[in-house]
Amino acid sequence: MTMIEPLDLEPFGPETVAGVSKLRLKFPGEPSFVFKDLSLSVRRGEKVLLLGPSGCGKSTLLQVLGGLIPQVIEVPIKAEGIVAPDSRGYVFQDPDTQFCMPYVDEELAFVLENRGIPRERMVPEMRRALEAVGLRPDLLHVPVDSLSQGMKQRLALASVLLLEPEVIFLDEPSALLDPEGRKQMWESVWKAAEGRTLIVVEHRIEEIADRMDRIVLLAPDGSILGDGPPAWVFGAFRRELQQYGIWYPGVWADFFKVLDLRRGGAAKPLEPDASAPLLTLRRFSGFRAGRPVVRADEARVDPGDFIAVVGPNGAGKSSLLLSLMSLLRFRGEYRLCGEAMPETEGASRRARRAIRPPTDRIGYVFQNPEFQFVAESVLGEAGFSAKAKQAGKAEAEAKARRLLRFFHLEGLERRHPYQLSTGQKRRLSMAAAVVGEQPVLLLDEPTFGQDARNTFAILEYCLEMQEKGAAIVMVTHEENIARRVATKVWEVLDGAVTERPAIEADLAERRAGT
Amino acid sequence: MIELLKPTRQTVLLRTNPAIKLVLFVALCLVTVLTRNIDFAAYQALTYTVLLFAFGGFPVRKTLLLVLPFGFLFVSSSMTMILFGKGDTLWWQWGLFRISEESFYRGLHLGFRSIAFAAEGLLFVSTTPSVKLFYALMQNFRLAPRFAYSFMASIRLLPMVWEEFLIRRQALQVRGITVRGKGLRGMAEHVRLYAVPLLSQSIRRAHRVAVAMEAKQFDGGGKRTYYYPSNVSWTDAAAVLLLALAPCAAYAAAVVFPWFGIADVRYHS
Repeated sequence: MTMIEPLDLEPFGPETVAGVSKLRLKFPGEPSFVFKDLSLSVRRGEKVLLLGPSGCGKSTLLQVLGGLIPQVIEVPIKAEGIVAPDSRGYVFQDPDTQFCMPYVDEELAFVLENRGIPRERMVPEMRRALEAVGLRPDLLHVPVDSLSQGMKQRLALASVLLLEPEVIFLDEPSALLDPEGRKQMWESVWKAAEGRTLIVVEHRIEEIADRMDRIVLLAPDGSILGDGPPAWVFGAFRRELQQYGIWYPGVWADFFKVLDLRRGGAAKPLEPDASAPLLTLRRFSGFRAGRPVVRADEARVDPGDFIAVVGPNGAGKSSLLLSLMSLLRFRGEYRLCGEAMPETEGASRRARRAIRPPTDRIGYVFQNPEFQFVAESVLGEAGFSAKAKQAGKAEAEAKARRLLRFFHLEGLERRHPYQLSTGQKRRLSMAAAVVGEQPVLLLDEPTFGQDARNTFAILEYCLEMQEKGAAIVMVTHEENIARRVATKVWEVLDGAVTERPAIEADLAERRAGT
Repeated sequence: MIELLKPTRQTVLLRTNPAIKLVLFVALCLVTVLTRNIDFAAYQALTYTVLLFAFGGFPVRKTLLLVLPFGFLFVSSSMTMILFGKGDTLWWQWGLFRISEESFYRGLHLGFRSIAFAAEGLLFVSTTPSVKLFYALMQNFRLAPRFAYSFMASIRLLPMVWEEFLIRRQALQVRGITVRGKGLRGMAEHVRLYAVPLLSQSIRRAHRVAVAMEAKQFDGGGKRTYYYPSNVSWTDAAAVLLLALAPCAAYAAAVVFPWFGIADVRYHS
């Protein structure tokens, strides 16, 4: 299937370590080319960032430059010339799908075995690589799954270093990390990349833009829009960056500016209506496998609240949401819309069986939208819960269509939910969750791994529903949401929920209209 | 789930070369399969269960827990033969049930062999981490690294599928889905609701793992070195001795102290 013209080095200089000239690439079965006559070359030691909107082919280009396409992933390509580096290493996006062995030392050994390194030299090499990425050198016979996501990415980087690569390729390595993990991972990358060539695809570029030598900006059609030093690209293509959903420096400030404008000049932040709480908790604790994993002594949610649930991974944020939804057992006082919810921990089996999640009052959005889908078409998906309520069929469909318009999904009604793009899937999962017009909406990291455009779209929908008097409870790692959008912050530390108001200074600042 | 099977006790069998151990256990199973003597079968069941406590990789309490179902295994595997087997010396009959002396002993013999099999299997599993087994198979039996590493990678992926199954179940509860219909229709509905999302995730994940492995210069062929050596040492000799002595001891016991004294339980008319 693959066609490569005989290697022709002429279009490239002697210092080129990776490059393509007049590259044409098309996925089988797709109507249009991903790339049409694209040329790009990277010199030894350069640090290059590939930017572009979702679906423009950045990751594909990265795979061509590194020789994964067409050697490993078979895609028909044609080019006047291709230079792939002799030695290269990849770090991919998902920390959970880069390893094939259960233990850290075995995973690192896998690379050394592939290279045929004698056994005696393996352990010293492993220690050196772990140290180089800022992991403890004695972190050897430790299960990979016991590491945090950020540590896993650094482990992936360590195994890349063992390949002694000339060029390191990073394919959105920090998209699925929390801010702390992201910071540590990039620190390790800078250390590891010293004296090497680095080619990166990444959406979140606040931390890395100033360390790059060169940014290549791709247009939605896969052509190169701009190619130059970061400062120049950010100056000349600000509007495109905004449009493409790239996390350029200052993107949040722009979002809030637009939001305030739309709300009529100096918008005042929404004030929750404290007269009748939607949800109150007292001495509440959620249980997993019979053990309490999260507890809240006192908490309430009012109509118009936007609550950001923050805290480190594994502290119990998701468990809190699941127990509010009665998907985990709980003990304590829990009132929802004025009605007491029956305790489930310690209740008899028969009593528990009668309990259903309060789907009529709470909408729930899971982290991975695919797991929520139950229907065969987008329209059916959006209308599913409405239909279940036995409203008239026509009425339910009209409502579903209205929602699809609201979430910018019109025209896709007949598509299977799995055929949508990531952002569309996320929007559809929200549409399906709110179709019952529930007064409380729980969201578990809905903006995780999304590009800026999707993140802001999700936020805008939430804000709009908040304005209509719904209450939003959102687990998030995004500091800007906690600081500037939320009315309250629930901080979860080691399973303990404490409530604090969103930072006053910021609210006051926004009240003053800056 | 995988952690549950991890050996926690250091024994001779744990240090044995897994490839040699595999051969030994296949041989032991063959001996058990070919056993006709009921006393030999009973003593095998006893011997291997004792070995399981003495040399298995799990602590005594965990082993006890695993041995508990042996009773059920014994009853379930012997019952059918006892109740329906052929035989001339009739003891009791009621409708279809027909217990004869021959069928009774043949049933017991089956039950003892089931226990022997179970104990052999547990003894192997409890002393053999999967990674070590695949390393030994690659080095001693020329198993292609392609297959070995694919298996090891997929073992790592199993718990993730289980976790996703739980998430899917919660999501369906939230969406208010209850499976309608019982029996086959209910089964089909379950498959429809769970198979597509779980499979699509798993296939994508497997593809990503495969690409990541190849990106680490794993090409399935070529010369490679091994992190875990697979050599033969004195512990292997000890294991061979132990596992050869066990059936011999059982046989000797059956000859010297027979409980039933039936040399061949098969039915000859």
